[in-house]
This record gives sequence, structure tokens and C-alpha cells, in this order.
Amino acid sequence: MGSECGVLVFAEQENGEIHNVVYELLGKGRELANRLNKMLCAVLLGFGLEEKSRELIYYGADRVYLFDHPSLKNFDVIRYKHNIVKLVNEVKPDIFLIGATRMGRSLAPRIAAALRTGLTADCVDLDLDDEGNLVQIRPAFSGNIMAQIRTRTRPQMATVRYRMMKPLSRNPNRTGEIVRMETEFLENSGIEILDRVSASGVNLSEADIIVAAGRGLKSPEDLKLIEEVANLLGGVVGASRPLVDAGWIGREHQVGFSGNTVKPKVYIAFGISGSPQHLFGMRDSDIIIAVNKDPSASIINFSDYYVIGDLYEIIPPLIRELKRARGVG
Amino acid sequence: MPLHNNALLDVAEEIERIVGERWVITQRDFIESYLKDETPEPIRPKPADNLILVKPSSTSEVSLILKIANEMKIPVFPVGGRTGLVGGSIPTKPGIILSLERMNKIEVDRENLMAVAEAGATLGDLIKAAEDAGLFFPPHPGDEGAQIGGLIATNAGGARAIKYGVIRNYVRGLEVVLPTGDILSLGGKLLKNNTGYDLMQIIIGSEGTLCVITKAVIRLFPKSKYMVTLIIPFNSRSDAMRTVPQILRSGVIPLAIEYVQLKEIMKAAEHLNDNWPVQKGFAQLIIILDGVSQEEVLLACEELSKICESNNAIDIMIAEAPEEQNRILRIRSNIYTALKPDMIDILDVTVPPNSLEKLMDEVDAIAAKYGVYLPTYGHAGDGNLHVHIMKEGMKDMDMADAIKNEIYSAAVKLGGVITGEHGIGKLRFKNLSLVLSEKHMEIMRGIKRVFDPNNILNPREILF
Amino acid sequence: MNIIVLMKQVPEIEKVRFDYEKGRLDRSSAGAVTNPFDLNALEAAVQIKERAGGSVTAISMGPMQAIEMLRDALARGADKAILLSDERFAGADTLATAYTLATAIKKLGAFDLVICGEKTVDGDTAQVGPEVAEFLGIPHAAYVEEIREINAKWIVVKARMEQSDYILKLSLPALITVTKDINVPRLPTLRDKLKAMRAPITIWTYDDLSQVADQKYFGFEGSPTRVIKVFTPVTGGRRGQMISGSPEEIAAKIVHILRENKILG
Repeated sequence: MGSECGVLVFAEQENGEIHNVVYELLGKGRELANRLNKMLCAVLLGFGLEEKSRELIYYGADRVYLFDHPSLKNFDVIRYKHNIVKLVNEVKPDIFLIGATRMGRSLAPRIAAALRTGLTADCVDLDLDDEGNLVQIRPAFSGNIMAQIRTRTRPQMATVRYRMMKPLSRNPNRTGEIVRMETEFLENSGIEILDRVSASGVNLSEADIIVAAGRGLKSPEDLKLIEEVANLLGGVVGASRPLVDAGWIGREHQVGFSGNTVKPKVYIAFGISGSPQHLFGMRDSDIIIAVNKDPSASIINFSDYYVIGDLYEIIPPLIRELKRARGVG
Repeated sequence: MPLHNNALLDVAEEIERIVGERWVITQRDFIESYLKDETPEPIRPKPADNLILVKPSSTSEVSLILKIANEMKIPVFPVGGRTGLVGGSIPTKPGIILSLERMNKIEVDRENLMAVAEAGATLGDLIKAAEDAGLFFPPHPGDEGAQIGGLIATNAGGARAIKYGVIRNYVRGLEVVLPTGDILSLGGKLLKNNTGYDLMQIIIGSEGTLCVITKAVIRLFPKSKYMVTLIIPFNSRSDAMRTVPQILRSGVIPLAIEYVQLKEIMKAAEHLNDNWPVQKGFAQLIIILDGVSQEEVLLACEELSKICESNNAIDIMIAEAPEEQNRILRIRSNIYTALKPDMIDILDVTVPPNSLEKLMDEVDAIAAKYGVYLPTYGHAGDGNLHVHIMKEGMKDMDMADAIKNEIYSAAVKLGGVITGEHGIGKLRFKNLSLVLSEKHMEIMRGIKRVFDPNNILNPREILF
Repeated sequence: MNIIVLMKQVPEIEKVRFDYEKGRLDRSSAGAVTNPFDLNALEAAVQIKERAGGSVTAISMGPMQAIEMLRDALARGADKAILLSDERFAGADTLATAYTLATAIKKLGAFDLVICGEKTVDGDTAQVGPEVAEFLGIPHAAYVEEIREINAKWIVVKARMEQSDYILKLSLPALITVTKDINVPRLPTLRDKLKAMRAPITIWTYDDLSQVADQKYFGFEGSPTRVIKVFTPVTGGRRGQMISGSPEEIAAKIVHILRENKILG
């Protein structure tokens, strides 16, 4: 293993909890660092996170730079940027990866501009070319095409979409180094966090993943099955109109001409026959997967993949498979 | 399953041999969504128990199916997108539901500005196909899930009918199948045709009672290079309505002039988790204008603005971005859906355009007399008014019928008809005599007998 | 209160077709429209102006046809519009774009607030706003869905992150990027629209900005990222492929499909 920092990963945390995307970045970062024969590092900012920083090592980091300071407890983009830029200038990583979460997408561009380096948004895959340059792959034009992007400057920065990379399995025997960094305290960052409250509510029209149910569902309680699939995929629950009209689920979940028009990356329809009104609302989805008992259901003609079968038979093993794929349970 | 009588099951087997087993559905669960349309629940006809659903893939399959049904005298209910409002497609007798949803191909002929569409293609498909070819299908009868066959069978109207008219004005040719199985081709890619009685025009608007429409030649127009939607709020209905004939006389021909009231349009927006962009005034006109250039259209807008201002318009707002215009049209198209849960019926009375305000006043008077809420809006340029009969304040269905009757009578007295858009379906028989004489009925019955002597196609209470 | 709104003209995204055989984008049926989020940004600016007075300046970088969009911005309540247009600005990535926009803002002089849409629908990066803030050396808040208070010294906003809403007080000058939830952009009045059709638009070229900036950061030359290849992802039109087998096999196949299409890692 080389000594320099090949890949740096921003360890996003909120409320002391490390975001899952970080472990995914460490998984990919580990692979890239090995190929570069350099170290995989992570940078964690917050307060009282010494314990948490070990987790980053268990998931693959060789070294964790820890900025532990009360002023970093909550996300202040200026304070975070300031300390990270200082670190990057010191350790000079080849590659700097940040999750394409809202926090990451707010922070990364500031760092890139401060470092005057290139930044590629929302990557779905990363690779190295023969010279060891980072090849960044991102969708363009609503995913109709994929672009490969290279960066001329260093570090090569990218934000990476959540659920694209596979984390390593947690290994508490893995060793690494925690480097406590001196936090440069900015008295006045220009930003004051007055409050932070948990958010709620669904936004179907901007959802990337929708798991929807229709009349094939037998009772409102069974929506829990649909919810579980949606949760495992990080998606939201959609419904055809009959379920909404029956009061099983709120109108904000309705997909169709008289509900939400959606365009997710994947739309999974369980027990939806596909009335023209419903099709209107979802036919532009990137990928449509339909599960229906009725082989003549019109949604089948609008799907990329279809299953002729009972959703009650398909969903339980699907939940098991998804749990396995996500590395839970 | 004991649901089906033997005769029907025998037929099902025979039809399976024509269309394939997968496309004959006998299980009630899978048929459920074909048993209703958009008709409000309180007045929706009850579907029969013994029904099978058949989804043919070609005209020749339709022909074979009809031939069998005709020989065995089994009722056939052709259905489209089930977006009708008068129970027209609801299968009220044991028989066959015929859905042409698999026949949904559309070919656009750019040279002749025509589309050849199979009956099962949706309005949304047609709009998109036209647009992809750089052309335009002007009418917009609300729900884009409606199918071409249904649009023609009901001669649908909707907004945007002022400049180019209702569906009838677009149909240039039809391929239909008669109950005997005979396939008839009518018209074609022609703009002029004087060869005998125009059977095609009788079939347009015949509500699936004469034959099954399988294919249509539909006239398209060049895509307007530029289109805008204006929203013009007024403090009073009379200000808004007085404006309409003045616009129609001005030489500017809009695609649509819609009348809405703030209360209902806000409700529709709320239903879609959206906001109505102009929250001013009591009544609003929504005007859609198109043309070949921004200059031309804005000049026309300027012309209209003078008329609106002289009639006390509060403001004139303009939507230019396609996204904003589509949003306005979608909210407008969903007033019905927003009101539907509290609704008993929706009327579509139509009067000469200049009598529309008078009709609205009459409706207000009827609402006041009975102490009920009768929200109205309509296609102001066409004299076509939608009155909603709501549950609020309604004692019973008799009271609702009495109110409907008074509204119908008011429309007829003003020289109008009881339905301008939605048709007769299975709901409007009682009141037909207000408009049609016994002689009218006799001729219509005669036509029905010639086309469908065994009365198997969409059989209804009275023969036509 | 001097407010600057950054805007971009984009192709009507839903009308951009993709030719899978040729592997090419077909923009022929797509018109040019204002990036929808930028209309929210403009509306937010106009609402602040209505409350607190001041002026709204819309700035865009792009080809000359973007004048049409800026005229629309004037009709919707902007007082002034500037288009940064020059062949030498072309081919800019987000960093070069942000640098160019920041330079124009500096050239304009004193300002209190910069407002951008959360992202553009064509690039979909959400990077330009925060990068501009960095170049200007001012604080920013991204994904703002509510402006709670504003005065000459500071602004209080609600910013939406995935898990939480942050209530942030930013000292001015500052930059915010706004979501669609912040407001409903009003429609312009016909009168303002007609007036704007004749309004002048200021054009700044490379030469106008090169006096106040380092030209090596402009355009393609100033862009550190390079698109090296464009390719078609695995999914195409509707293939209508049947998945069969036992429920367990079907479940495994669905997971495989989700992986193949990058829904699952």
C-alpha cells in the first residue's frame, strides 16, 4: 500500500449519524485506491464523533481525518468548506468523492470553486483509465444518454448518487488511523442555524423510484407490503385512483391524469391494470415493471418487464432479495 | 364460476379460438374496471352480472366476433377509455364487452395532414403522434385517456372547439364493422366527398349503437408555431360573458374561450396539489390563441385586451411557456374530477352562444329556488355550459331530477339542447322529448333497425 | 435591495427525443424555454422587491436567442436584464459558467441577494449556484423552499435537506437556490409582456468581462471537466419482456434488472 491519499471521501453525517452513501463511497473508494496503490481516506466533521469515525475504518478507510468541534455539530456549508479546503490542500488527494445528497450537492461545488477544480455531478459509476485518471459516468438528458467525463485538474471531484455503489461488509477487525485535525474556528461564517426540524411529506412527481399499487391489492393493510418494497429501494409509494377514492391512501400518492404525473427512473406497478388515465401519469417513466395476474391487463403493453402473477406471491420473496441486496437482515 | 350462463361460456370458447385465450376474460375481478365510466356514482347505471371481456387485435377479429354475437343475439358493448359521463359504455345487459385497446396504432400522413388511427389509440397518443410529426390535433375533450373510437362514437367536444369545431369536423374517413360482420370503409383522406348519403356522419355520435368503429382517418392541422393562453379575471359574470360575443366578432378567432369561476377552478387546482395562477375576481375567461408568429399572436392579444378592458377586466395575464399552458389546461380539465365526490350529475346543456349568460342566470335562479349549490363553467365560445348537480342541499333524487328538468327546459326555451357534448348514453332518455319529436325518434329507430336489426350493439332502454 | 436572478434557457426537456439507433439526441421538436426552476427564482426576487423595494436584475449566459427569455423575465417583474453572450463563453462546464456569471455580478457592483433555481433541467447538476457563491465569497443556502424574513442585513430561509429542514439566517449579501415549492410563479400581465417585447437587453461579451476577470477561466478553455464519450444506457424503448419462473426466481430477476439499470448498487 502506498502512503499518499489516493481517494478522499466526505463522511456526511447528520445528527451524529453517518449517511449510508458514505459507506458506499468507501466501498468504491477502496477499489479505486487499491488500483492506484494509494490510501483511502475519509474526512468527518462534527462534534463528539470519535466513536463514529471508527465505523469509517470498519467499512474500508485507511485513515480518517476528524474535525471534532462544537461549531461543526450541524452542517454549516462555509465552516465545512473552510476546513475541508485546508485539508485537501494539505493531503492533496487524487480523487475526492462526495455523496450526491442535498448536503453534498450544496457543499461540493463550493469546495470545487475554492480549489478551482472540476466537479462532476451525480455520478452513477466511476472507473480509472490506463493512466489512472478518474472516469466519471453520469446520466444526461433524463437518463436517455450516459456521459463519460474526465477532469483535467486535481483533485478530481465527483458527487455520487446514493444506492449506486456497493459498500464493503463491516469488519471491526479492520485497522486504520484516526487523525484528529485542528478545527479552524470561524467566528462568523455568515450563516446561523436557527433550527433544524425533521422533514416530512411525499413528493411523487420528483421521485426517482415509485412502487405503486392498484386494485390488485386486497386490503388497505396490504399497503405495508408496498411500503416495504418502496423503503428498501429508497422510493415512494404511488397508487392508482381506485385506492385513493376508496380512502386507502392519500391523494398525494395518486398517479394519473387527475393525480400526479410522474417520471421516475423506475416505476413498479403491482396489481395495476393500467387504465388510460393511469398510463397517462406514468408512461414516461424510464423503466416500467408490471406485476399483474391478468395477462390481458393493458399496463403489460406499456412495460419494459412484466410478471404474470399474484403480487402476494411475488412481494415476499422480493422483499427478501432486496434485503439481501442491501446487505440488511 | 357460476357467474356465467352456459351460452355465454360457449361463446367465450368460440371467441377464444379467434383472439386467443389470453384475450377473453371471464374472471369478474379482471373485468371490474370495464364496468364503469366517469359517470358520477349516484346516477351510474348498474352493470349486468354475466359478462365477458374480449380484446381483439384486428378488424377481422372484430368482424368474426360480431358475426357470432349477431347470430346468437348476444349484446355487445363496445368500450373505449371509459371517460364518458352518461353511462354510455356501461354493459347493462349480459353479453360481451368489446375493448379495442390493443388496436392502438397511429400513422401520420404528413403530406395530406391526416392521421390514420386505430380505434383503441388514446387521445393522448394522437396528440403526441401529431406533435412528433410537427402537426397538431386541435380539439381537447378533457381526459387524454379517451380512445379514438369513443371520441368519434360520442362526437366529443371539449375546449378548443371554436376555431376548428368538434370531433365531427376532423373525421374524414372511417372503417367500421356491422353486426353482420361486414366491414365498411367510409370516406377517406378526402376533404370533399359528395357520393350519396353521408353514412359516416350518421355513425359519428351514434354512441356504439350502429356499428363498431375500428379505424379512422383524422384531419390534422399544421402545428401552431406559437400559442398562448390568457387568463382574464372579472368581478362579475356579466362583464365576462358580455366580452365573449365581442371577441367572436372582432376577427380574432381563438382556439378556445372557457368560462370558469374562481371558486371551482381553485378547487380543481387544490385537487391536483397545485395552485391556480390567477387568484382574482369572481369569474374568469381562459382564452387560447395560436398563430404563425409571436408578433401575430401578441397583436391579436392586444386586440382582445381592448375588448376585455372595455368590459372591466381586472387584469389580463398571459401564459407563454408550454409548461404553464399545459398546467392551466390540466387544472381546467380537472374541475370535474375535483367536484366529482360531492356530485350527483353533470349537465352539458348548450344554447346559442349569445344566450349563455341568460342560461347561467336561469341556473342561478333555479339554485336559489331550491337552495342548492350548482357550480357552473363552460365552453363560453360554444354556448356550452356545464352545470353540476351537487349533493349539497339535495334532499333526494327526485329533487335532483326536478332541478335537472328545469335546467333542461330553460336551455330548450333559449333555443338550445339538453346535451351538447356528453350525449344520451343510458341516462338522458327521460328528457329527450323536450328536444326530439316523435317523428325524429321514428327516423332514428328506422336507422338503428337498418344497421342493427337484432339490437345487439349497446342495447339501451329505447331503440336507437 | 438589489437582487440578482441567474437564469438559463433550456430545451423543452420532454420533447428532446433520443434516437437509439443512431445514439443521438434529437432536439428538433424541442423549443427553448426558461429553466422552470428559474421562474421560481425570479418570482421570489420580485416578491422581495414588492415587500422591500429595490430592483431585480436577471442575468443569463447563452446564445443570442436567450434574449427572448430575458424579455419574458422583464415582463415577469425584472427591472433589468443582462445577457452574457460570446462564442468564447461557449462550451463552459459548471465551474467556468459560475466564474463567468460571478464576474458579471462583480462588474455590476453592489448587490444584496443572488437567487438561482435549484438546478437546470438540462444539466441537472445544481452546482452553478453554490460555485457562484464561492467565487463571490458570500454565504449561500441551497434548496430554499421558504423565505421567512428579509431586511437590509440578513435573510432567514427554510432550506430542505433529505432528512431535515434547516432554518438558516444568512447575512447579506448572500446567495440562495430555490426549489419549486417556494412559490407559484405568477403569469405576466399582457401589458407587461407587450412592453417587454420592446425593452432593451444589455449584452456583455468576452471583451466586456475580460477587463475585470482572468480570461483563462472562461468557456471551454476554462473548463476543467471534459466529456470524453457519450453512450446509450442499457434501457431502450419498451421491450415488454416477460419475467417468469417461481416467485423466488422472479424476485431475483427483478433485483437483477434493478441492478443492471443502476437503481440498486
